[in-house]
Amino acid sequence: MAVDREKVEQFIYHEARLTDENRYDEWLALWTDDALYWVPCGRDDIDPKREISLIYDDRTRLETRITRLKSGVAHAQEPKSRMRRIVSNIEIEEGANGEITAFANFMLAELRRGVQDIFAGRTIYRLRLVDGAFKLAYKKVLLVNNDEYIDNLTFLI
Amino acid sequence: MNGRAKIDYNTLVKTDRVNSRVYTDPQIFEDELERIFHRGWVFVGHRGEVPNPGDFRLKRIGLQPVIMVRDHAGKVNLLLNRCRHRGAVVCHETRGNARNFRCAYHGWTYKLDGSLAGVPYPEAYDDSFRREEYGLTRVPRVAEYRGFVFGSLSPAGITLEEHLGRAAREIDMFVGLSDAEEIEVSSGINKYDFKANWKLAVENSMDGYHPNVTHESFVSAVMERIKNNPSPEHGAVFDPNSFAAGSYGFAKDLGGGHVMLDYGFRIYDPLNRDPLPPVRAINASGEMHLSDLRRRTSPERAADMLREGGTHTLVFPNLILIGLHMRVVQPLSVDYTEVCLYPTTLKWLTPEVNQIRLRSHEAFFGSASLGGPDDSEIFERIQTAAAADLEPWNIISRGLGKERPDDEGYLYGDMTSEITQRAIWRQWKKMMTQDAGTAATRKRGSRTSTRS
Amino acid sequence: MARTKINYRALVKSDRVHSRLYTDPQIFDEELERIFHRGWVFVGHRGEVPNPGDFRLKRIGLCPVIMVRDGAGKVNLLLNRCRHRGATVCNDERGNTRAFRCAYHGWTYKLDGSLAGVPYPEAYDEGFRREEFGLTHVPRVAEYRGFVFGSLSPAGITLEQHLGRAREQIDLFVGLSDADEVMVDCGAHKYDYRANWKLQVENAMDGYHAVTLHESFLGVLAERARAQHAADDYKGQFEGSRFAVTRDLGGGHVMLDYWNRLYDALNDDPIPEVEPTTARGRIHFDELTRRFGHLRAAHNLMQGMTHTLIFPNLILIGVQMRVVHPVRVDHSEVAVYPVRLDWLSDAVNATRLRGHEAFFGPAGFGGPDDVEVFERVQTGLAADRLAPWLMLSRGMSRERRDADGTLIGERTDEVTQRGIWRQWMKVMTHEDRPRRATRQSVRLPIGAHPFHQSH
Repeated sequence: MAVDREKVEQFIYHEARLTDENRYDEWLALWTDDALYWVPCGRDDIDPKREISLIYDDRTRLETRITRLKSGVAHAQEPKSRMRRIVSNIEIEEGANGEITAFANFMLAELRRGVQDIFAGRTIYRLRLVDGAFKLAYKKVLLVNNDEYIDNLTFLI
Repeated sequence: MNGRAKIDYNTLVKTDRVNSRVYTDPQIFEDELERIFHRGWVFVGHRGEVPNPGDFRLKRIGLQPVIMVRDHAGKVNLLLNRCRHRGAVVCHETRGNARNFRCAYHGWTYKLDGSLAGVPYPEAYDDSFRREEYGLTRVPRVAEYRGFVFGSLSPAGITLEEHLGRAAREIDMFVGLSDAEEIEVSSGINKYDFKANWKLAVENSMDGYHPNVTHESFVSAVMERIKNNPSPEHGAVFDPNSFAAGSYGFAKDLGGGHVMLDYGFRIYDPLNRDPLPPVRAINASGEMHLSDLRRRTSPERAADMLREGGTHTLVFPNLILIGLHMRVVQPLSVDYTEVCLYPTTLKWLTPEVNQIRLRSHEAFFGSASLGGPDDSEIFERIQTAAAADLEPWNIISRGLGKERPDDEGYLYGDMTSEITQRAIWRQWKKMMTQDAGTAATRKRGSRTSTRS
Repeated sequence: MARTKINYRALVKSDRVHSRLYTDPQIFDEELERIFHRGWVFVGHRGEVPNPGDFRLKRIGLCPVIMVRDGAGKVNLLLNRCRHRGATVCNDERGNTRAFRCAYHGWTYKLDGSLAGVPYPEAYDEGFRREEFGLTHVPRVAEYRGFVFGSLSPAGITLEQHLGRAREQIDLFVGLSDADEVMVDCGAHKYDYRANWKLQVENAMDGYHAVTLHESFLGVLAERARAQHAADDYKGQFEGSRFAVTRDLGGGHVMLDYWNRLYDALNDDPIPEVEPTTARGRIHFDELTRRFGHLRAAHNLMQGMTHTLIFPNLILIGVQMRVVHPVRVDHSEVAVYPVRLDWLSDAVNATRLRGHEAFFGPAGFGGPDDVEVFERVQTGLAADRLAPWLMLSRGMSRERRDADGTLIGERTDEVTQRGIWRQWMKVMTHEDRPRRATRQSVRLPIGAHPFHQSH
């Protein structure tokens, strides 16, 4: 079966917009039960059993993250980041079991308390068709600055 | 103070010239904060920015962070934005509505009037801890004029009325004689910054010499527009001679560092699309203000003033009223400044007129407008050139000796006279060379008491 | 410009401190001089450089230091500055090398800092003696359980004297492991903030803020506990002394002494069984079990055994070593190094890391809220004109001596803050005392005169 490139792109853009707009519940609803949301720390390829990540969320931890962000007292997101990101250079591969792997670059402008930061990186997505619609099973974000001092990464990257 | 060399301000500011060090020396900047901003009256905000109980805005007096908040009794409080426990800001949004201020660090909570409502687990403090001593610090003196809220960090000194003097009447004109609560400051804020000294923006705003040069592009745009669309209104229309010598506008010294460009022509609203809405009041008190305003000026001038602004005045040191906006020049460091413009509308005008006020404002003001950005460009050029201080003097002698008194004795010159600059610098020097003030002020100054 | 002498006694009182301590650049300079460039400062752990040639770039105060293990297994602390014209000779944050070669003129140094060679040496006359131009050694270097400390002053108290009672907390932090059983190879969380370095130091040992600032973290913990039908009272543990005390160990070293689960509670079940995988590990674990009981020993190995500040800037919390680097009076950098123990199973070590990630790092559920508040404090301190004090009086009237002689208070008391400031004052005003033997040799920049390698 040929990959429907446009559908994949639409999913990726939609996911990006939900993160930009801090739409936590809708974003959470994109994920599968075996989700992995992963932002490595220090370099791109690490073994999470032996090294720390900036984010290494399974479904449970992901839900916890969203619960906290919605609590109103997650002070590092009070006020919330204002964001817009460009997602581009999308490449798509068909994987086993009908899973689709997509690769993209992004550039994000993030503003809080008068300071605008630029984040850039590469994202690897694994999408799975569930009841005819894509779900996000895996998102790995390779930040250009994952080995640098970062003051706040509590928004959805 | 601080064991530094004392600066002789008399050698830096002369009647006809100013040494550029006043724009570049960090020590002078600190002295300014201390002597002008942390001692005298400083405009903080307008009641109209906080119309409802719980409404707050973050402000500054000099570099001291201040919360302006309306409490349930309708009173506007000025509170230092600093938890009395470990010093965090207790209010971190620039504006909003709050029931109280709770410090995120350890949860100390303050009421809208600043009093300490509670601390978590208070039993750890013994009897000597008295809650009423740990409210948010209040700005020692707060006073209002037509809803303009001023604060002074010094517990003693002249009254606000004494400070404003003749400038109070320009505030009257700015708001079209409206009462405090008839003024709306809810049309957004133009914010811009520049890498230059704050005084450059203050001087420039009262400079009648530069418009035909700096704003040549704006002037030609207006002329083009007037040529193609002769206005149906009868108000005196701006022309290139408005800012030339011999214009029917004047530059005037109101005393106390307050100065104005006193003119009667339209500038900003000719760029609006015709037809302009007729100026009408929608309630009785508005009728009253309007007829009073017409009586004092003329029906045409009153209409122009309400559509595009009624005065062009500096309230020393950093409040500027031009057109229909309040402008606050906020010094942040000797070579970095932020500016906020707050366009105002009046409750008793029709929505159409209030709308045209905003369109007039946008024509010239703000980061993307046809006028203001050219001024900011100049500020940075001056700051850059101030490094060339072999010949350090900037000249402010234009029109010196040609000042004339008006009916009340206030001195004025023609539109391009630098009488306004000289008056600003006179007041500046007066405050900078004033004795450290009352003993009370000195005792409260933390800096002096902690250096040995 | 001649600087005024600062009267620290007017700025630090037993129950409050003045804003200027966090905002005045001159005070910052003097802190570097008297605290960081004179006393013992933690530099790194042997576990960061397990093999010969392994190096890391470090700092003592603002002074750039190379921590490198040489062929003999010794960990050297060398100032990262070519003795010829001053360029850094090591430019990667970490790596493995055989020598350090300056890119400018090619002077090359061995792993022990000695000068291996210079290009075209014939241009120097006989007065040039190669052995005098090695990389400058940090004058005093000492280790405790693999924690490497340096002092830029050639004289002073020993590291043991400096650490005092805090040594026991280092013992616990590593689960009694020996130096080379501690593995510091799990990456580092790095964050910076626009505020004074001491805000992080004080905050790390502040038992009063958790219920408020970390409300969202405690909230999700409670929710998770409910879901797991666990009985842990996460919020309650911060309220009284039921689970914890604040403790002043002396010398500026302070701790939150508690024994509840915190970080690993967010991990998915089932949590792996703690079983030592080596004979040495068995000895450590048996000893911990003897001291604390099996359950607590196991829990603590999974999520950390102490919560201690080693004055001035090493923080041991959970499974991490945290180092606070002053950069400017209002800018600080923090590096957080989680550690593994080589006698724990991979599964247990992985659980340590997942527990760590829950709270710490730029995307954690706790740490970023602290950082947020540091900047809020720095902003609030600008309001210094009328009420410039920060209060530290909490629980002052109920401090008491524990059986071991240390000063303790309730969990939310500011015993720890007062302990930190007491030491800070002692060090900052030290110069005012008659004894000033070492004064001349502690001025930076170092390298202006060679230190003798006689440590």
